Amino acid sequence: MSHGHHNPIEHPEVQLASMGGYLIAFVVGLGAMLIALWMVVGHTLSPVSLTTVISLIALVAVIVQLYFLFKLDLSSTQIWHTVSFVMTAPLFVMSVGLTIWMFHTLMERTMLPGVCTF
Amino acid sequence: MSSHSVENVDPSNVRLWDYDDHGHDFIGTRSIGFWLYMMSDAMIFAGLFAAHGVYVHNFAGGFTAKEVIHPLNALWPTLFILTSVLIYGFGMVALKKGSRSGVINALLLSFILGVGFLFMEWREFSELAAMGAVPQVSGFLSDFWVIVLTHAAHVFFGLLWMAVMIVQIARNGFSQNNVYRLLNLKIFWHFQAVIWVCVFTFVYLMGGI
Repeated sequence: MSHGHHNPIEHPEVQLASMGGYLIAFVVGLGAMLIALWMVVGHTLSPVSLTTVISLIALVAVIVQLYFLFKLDLSSTQIWHTVSFVMTAPLFVMSVGLTIWMFHTLMERTMLPGVCTF
Repeated sequence: MSSHSVENVDPSNVRLWDYDDHGHDFIGTRSIGFWLYMMSDAMIFAGLFAAHGVYVHNFAGGFTAKEVIHPLNALWPTLFILTSVLIYGFGMVALKKGSRSGVINALLLSFILGVGFLFMEWREFSELAAMGAVPQVSGFLSDFWVIVLTHAAHVFFGLLWMAVMIVQIARNGFSQNNVYRLLNLKIFWHFQAVIWVCVFTFVYLMGGI
């Protein structure tokens, strides 16, 4: 079932490979994790603000990786990859966020304060 | 098209459809299909991260997160997996240039770094098992083992796939089948770096706070 009249290496998705892009993803990903690690190990902030800040750092690292590793853009080669990601991301966030929220409030409403030891 | 043909349309000669077979995009259809699989695979991790958010303090009087999780030790697997992903990326640049030896060398190095990642995880979890911090002790430990080892299982199957690809590239070169498989393995392997950033941040770093 070969329709391949062309050299597969000339396929636009093969041609997306870029050394600079992969290096940016590597440096930003590793740099972000090192900064977050330093902040946690050094107890630089209160636990609540530390949690918020390292979550934001991870978000930035993930967005940079998604763009530079997977080239999720609006080009004709990649548009459907991008669309399927944009459709999946809310499902991911909702499954995680709503589950945690549901169990957290359930615990607050059902456990007696001071009695609960998990 | 000249303006002549736009002005004078001859109804008996107008071409309403395309008679030629253009074929389908063999590589593109496989790549989008595998990307959709990756999106559903991400939902497995969504379930695991949700469970993590629920069980994160359920120590059942046993080991606490601080006794089990050492963020500094998790830096080594982070280095291994991110470097392995970078080297696989260089392999894709070699593929773009049509260099068979470039691809094989990059895959070999990426494979070795992936094995290093699994070795670090194996050391960490055999230590946990030796101190009795096994999954059945508490909700927290069940969750910790499953979330980290599900990622490790992905890395294991990625390495298996990589080993197969090294043989296939050496034997058959850049055939259409091999090129789409390399592209799909690239999607799979690079996705493990994204998942690891989440595991490192939300499991290891937050466990150390």
